[in-house]
Amino acid sequence: MLVVSGLTDYAIEMKGIVKIYPGGTVALKGVDFAVKEGEIHGLLGENGAGKTTLVEILYGTRRPTAGKIFIRSKEVDVKSPRDAMDMGIGMVHQHFTLIPVFTALQNIVLGDEPIGSMGILDIEQARSKIEELMEETGLKVDLDTPVENLSTGEKQRVEILKMLYRNADILILDEPTAVLTPLEVKELFEFLKKMREANKTIVFITHKLREVKAITDVVTVLRRGKVVGKVKTDEVSIEELARMMVGREVLFRLEKKPREPGEPQLILEDLWVLDDRGDFAVKGISLQVRSGEIFGIAGVEGNGQTELVEAIAGLRRVSKGHIILAGKDVTNADPHTLYELGLGHIPEDRHRRGIILEFTLAENSILGLQRKNPFANNMGILEEEKILDWARELIKRFSVDAPSPTIPASSLSGGNQQKLIVGRELMKNPKVVVAAQPTRGLDVAATEYIRETLLRMRDEGRAVLLVSADLDEVLMLSDRIGVMYEGELMGVARPEDLTIEEIGLMMGGVKLDEIRKGGAS
Amino acid sequence: MKGLITLLRKYIKPISESIISVLIGVVVGSIIILLAGYSPLVFYEALFSGSFKHTRAFLDTLSYMIPLTMTALSFAVAARASVFNIGAEGQMYMGALIANIVGTYIRLPRLIHPFVAVIAAFLAGGFWGWLAGILKTKRKVNEVVSTIMLNWIAFYIVNYVSTYHIFDPKAPYKTAYVLESSRFPPLVKGTSFTADFIIAIFVAIIVFFLVWKTSLGYEIRAVGLNPTAAEYGGVNPGKIASIAMFIAGGCGGLAGAFLVLGRFGFITTTLTNVLNWGFDGIAVSLVGRNHPLGIIISSFFFAILNSGALEVQVATSKGGQIGVPYELVLAVMGIIVIAVSVPGLLDLIRARLRGRKEVEKVAMA
Repeated sequence: MLVVSGLTDYAIEMKGIVKIYPGGTVALKGVDFAVKEGEIHGLLGENGAGKTTLVEILYGTRRPTAGKIFIRSKEVDVKSPRDAMDMGIGMVHQHFTLIPVFTALQNIVLGDEPIGSMGILDIEQARSKIEELMEETGLKVDLDTPVENLSTGEKQRVEILKMLYRNADILILDEPTAVLTPLEVKELFEFLKKMREANKTIVFITHKLREVKAITDVVTVLRRGKVVGKVKTDEVSIEELARMMVGREVLFRLEKKPREPGEPQLILEDLWVLDDRGDFAVKGISLQVRSGEIFGIAGVEGNGQTELVEAIAGLRRVSKGHIILAGKDVTNADPHTLYELGLGHIPEDRHRRGIILEFTLAENSILGLQRKNPFANNMGILEEEKILDWARELIKRFSVDAPSPTIPASSLSGGNQQKLIVGRELMKNPKVVVAAQPTRGLDVAATEYIRETLLRMRDEGRAVLLVSADLDEVLMLSDRIGVMYEGELMGVARPEDLTIEEIGLMMGGVKLDEIRKGGAS
Repeated sequence: MKGLITLLRKYIKPISESIISVLIGVVVGSIIILLAGYSPLVFYEALFSGSFKHTRAFLDTLSYMIPLTMTALSFAVAARASVFNIGAEGQMYMGALIANIVGTYIRLPRLIHPFVAVIAAFLAGGFWGWLAGILKTKRKVNEVVSTIMLNWIAFYIVNYVSTYHIFDPKAPYKTAYVLESSRFPPLVKGTSFTADFIIAIFVAIIVFFLVWKTSLGYEIRAVGLNPTAAEYGGVNPGKIASIAMFIAGGCGGLAGAFLVLGRFGFITTTLTNVLNWGFDGIAVSLVGRNHPLGIIISSFFFAILNSGALEVQVATSKGGQIGVPYELVLAVMGIIVIAVSVPGLLDLIRARLRGRKEVEKVAMA
């Protein structure tokens, strides 16, 4: 391997990086991150650990609150991605930034178009350089196909070629394998090894433990905005990595009454669901949620949880398998039918699904009930007095901090908006409640209130399916948990029967029975 | 009391914005009038007072409100479902044609006849609007493109049918007068202030009721503001948008029916007597903030401009000197209309951008 002369051989050094978002969320609490030239450096952590924020600061899409950045031993101020590119830093985001109707070639040169004589655009001039790049790296794409007709893996190649075309020698890949098939992952790894041979520096963000072992030289583990460790990959076991990633000092526990669960109210049988790209996001999930229990689904976000919830709530088509709600097969039923049969749904993104910001609290309080007695009469005319009474009761019962039910929902804080949604779903008196990320972005008091409410629902004998990327929340509330990874359940168990290490391994893609058989790595 | 204050606050912003816009338009218009060598004072005095000189002028002004209100409602109902309907023009043509045919070729008693014709026109216009709705929801055709095209298709259909089939043998440039039994008579003899005025106001109130007081209206507004949340609420956004376009088209169709059964009694084969009310309705609706009650007020404002335009020419001519040319009057009116439409347009654009941003936010998360 090449030895680089100079003061240090670090390609990237970030020192004491602090990031406080407006609103007070502390994403990074003084992170030191150093990557040597020519190494593949893993950045491991669960949701909210601060991985993405850290590289966004490096790439110039976010500004640090404090801290210093050195690129090749020189202190720099990365104000924008443009600055980063000029310093030879390239990044492939989780969500691609390509123009669908442009060809691969046009996308690669975009932003750095070759100009021919007379100042006229001459894209063809770039073709040979790109073809050479493809030859060297093994990343082959048909340059004349519009990007919208390329597969996800090919699109990623276009993004990578785009970086290389700009002569980037520090490559940041944010969860690059999340969208790839196993074969494509293998090809990507081959490519990364070639890049390492060419002395390029690679930052590889992931939550997948096996990938860390397979491809990285060094790994930095982040947890809640802090570095918990930096280790040589071949000196650490996959179990140790798991423990570092999710390790918790003390588990905060809520008072939970023991309760015998009753009949299964929500049954999923071998459920298969597609994502927006047309790939399977849910791959054969089977589970049962019984009345009087909370079934928690943990896992790093983007492993099919969103699609699973949408399928249960009638907002996404089920390709294969069955959903049984309160004894009735409701596969691909519309939301209205599901509400009639006793489903309550606290959606993942309250502004996108749960609430209409311009509507008043009263109007929002009947979303999903707008055609039902007593809120509308047989003629389809809304009964305003009854709606107002209902909204007032909701505000009172769920302590929504609002002066009147006629103010728009946009004037409420996030916590109160969520209380409004939770209250509305509970006032429907559901048999089954599906709660997706119910406390995301809420302050401590609101979070606690929502969690207590979920427990109360369980104690009232409802079946609760809780999907949350907040591991503490799932462990704290659930009677049973399942960990989702790439559309599958890695295992189902009672939280008290699981060790932190086992949970970490499952989140990183190891099945529970494999772990218990002792064959993790 | 508290409710009243919040209610007032809700309306103060849009109303004051509209008034400020009118003033800005007036100022910019003044500059043009000055440059053309006329007195802005005389100009505006004439423009705004023409309608109030005597009762007849006032009633004629009111009669302009009839088609304007209807086409504005067409735009407004669709806009509530976040559909940018610029097809009121074509919906109006279809309504005019069907009202004309029913009014001429079907014999019915005096009181029933106009209502049958009006309902037929509503259905015809509604169908025309629904076509754009269904193209949008089923085939993702942008409604701006489809409604423009449907406007032209409607134009030539009416042009063809009136030229070759239902023309007046004695005056082939137009259709025959519809039967007297189907006409809306003037409420005051010798004016164009016809009985359909009452129905037009009534329709605006019905639309208000429909949009704000019914389950369907709730769903239309939900789809317009946040289609994904509406879907979550058990609403099929595509279906609701199509229904909204049907109602919108129906209102456009009514504009045509009222012009034929009220003011004119016929259509010219080149549609000259019904032209452009549909496009003017877009501006009326934007000024009225896509609100049926706002539309009644703003269509009154536009009607004043409309009848004032002719008055200006007379008023500004002094002893041998020619008055402000009609073309210049229209240009100044255009400026006022643009200025007044800006806040409403901004609202629409803002809502669209926010919708898009929300989608992006989800994609980023």
